[in-house]
Amino acid sequence: MPNDSLAQKILTLADDSFILGHRNSEWAGHAPILEEDIAFANLALDELGHAHLWYELYQELTGVEPDRVVFFRDANEWRNTQFVELPKGDWAFSMTRQYLFDLYENVLLEKLVNSTNERVRGIATKIRAEEIYHLRHTSNWVKRLGLGTDESHARMQNALNELWASALQLFVPLENETELIDANIFPDLKTLRDEWQDKTVSHLSASGLIVPRVLEPRAISRAQHTEHLAELLNDMSSVARLEKFGVEW
Amino acid sequence: MDSQGQKYQVFEKERADLAHRNAGSVHAPDAEMALENARDVFVRRPNCLSLWVVPERAIFSKTVQELRDNAWREADAASDAPTETWLVFQKQGQTARETFVAHVGAVAACSPQQALSRALETFPNKNVFVWWVVPERVIFKSEDADAPSMFAPAHTKTYRNHLAYPVEPIMRELKSAQEMLDE
Repeated sequence: MPNDSLAQKILTLADDSFILGHRNSEWAGHAPILEEDIAFANLALDELGHAHLWYELYQELTGVEPDRVVFFRDANEWRNTQFVELPKGDWAFSMTRQYLFDLYENVLLEKLVNSTNERVRGIATKIRAEEIYHLRHTSNWVKRLGLGTDESHARMQNALNELWASALQLFVPLENETELIDANIFPDLKTLRDEWQDKTVSHLSASGLIVPRVLEPRAISRAQHTEHLAELLNDMSSVARLEKFGVEW
Repeated sequence: MDSQGQKYQVFEKERADLAHRNAGSVHAPDAEMALENARDVFVRRPNCLSLWVVPERAIFSKTVQELRDNAWREADAASDAPTETWLVFQKQGQTARETFVAHVGAVAACSPQQALSRALETFPNKNVFVWWVVPERVIFKSEDADAPSMFAPAHTKTYRNHLAYPVEPIMRELKSAQEMLDE
């Protein structure tokens, strides 16, 4: 059982969801209409909840507690993609990113519900129900903004141009990922990428948007981050780090 | 319609033995988004089985006071619109438990006035404070297939339910402990 590879992979899932959830929580109180303020905050909370489930599994595999992993790691120890750490940008940027991520999660979870690992299967089944709804909601927004006014369309196209290449980092495999594929614990990211690309291109085109021509993801390691992650972590951990880890309040 | 979009009234069915009841309203650019907004604003707690959204301007509404004046019936004869199904809603009480405008049934009619007249005949009830009639065709409903992703995840989020926080018994306990000390 390739336990170490599995732990590393689980950490990437947790970190992606967590950082994106945190980024999106920055919209609370600032979204374009009250109803969507609540909806988007809800969605951000769901991502934090999903991350928590993966962090619990990470703890089972490594013994490291979720609070420690989240609040007491420096930027170079995080394993999220740069795609999710980029600043929230405008509404079109955040919505496009969440949509691209939701589709990635949907194609991934659809496979993980059949994983040979029972814990992975269980968590995936639980998360997937909610992710189906996330995708429905963000797909609807993408369509309306893409086909909306000249301004909403232009902002969506800009967002897509900026995000597309970095979204592809989601499909860069980890070093020992083949062990997990061979054990049928995780699907091959190549297959996922094809499926993700077909679905996103079809919906984005129907939403009046042009997908940039980028053939291959740049092989950025998940240990490499932009300066934005350190900023986010400073802000996020400031309260937790007032005391050493493990102090009882 | 303002910059937030149209206003939609939201109806929620919480249990199999309860009717759809008005939960409040949301703004949205169209019915589909209204249904999603309704889900996020009103269905964060468990036990939703079905959700409806209705453009507010499509609701024909009369209070009991307004019904005493029969002038509203006159527009009745003028309609040559086709007959269709109208859903009937009543607000049956003023107590905290009955403040909802709840679905009671349907009538066939060709105008809002005719729908309301028929509703008054079909669902007579002395304890009604407000009547709403709505053509069924403008109601946008969640589907059974939506439930697993739209409503079921809330079941495990007990922290969203105020009943999960036994604040009242705790306060009562503290208060009686304080009273014993005072004595």
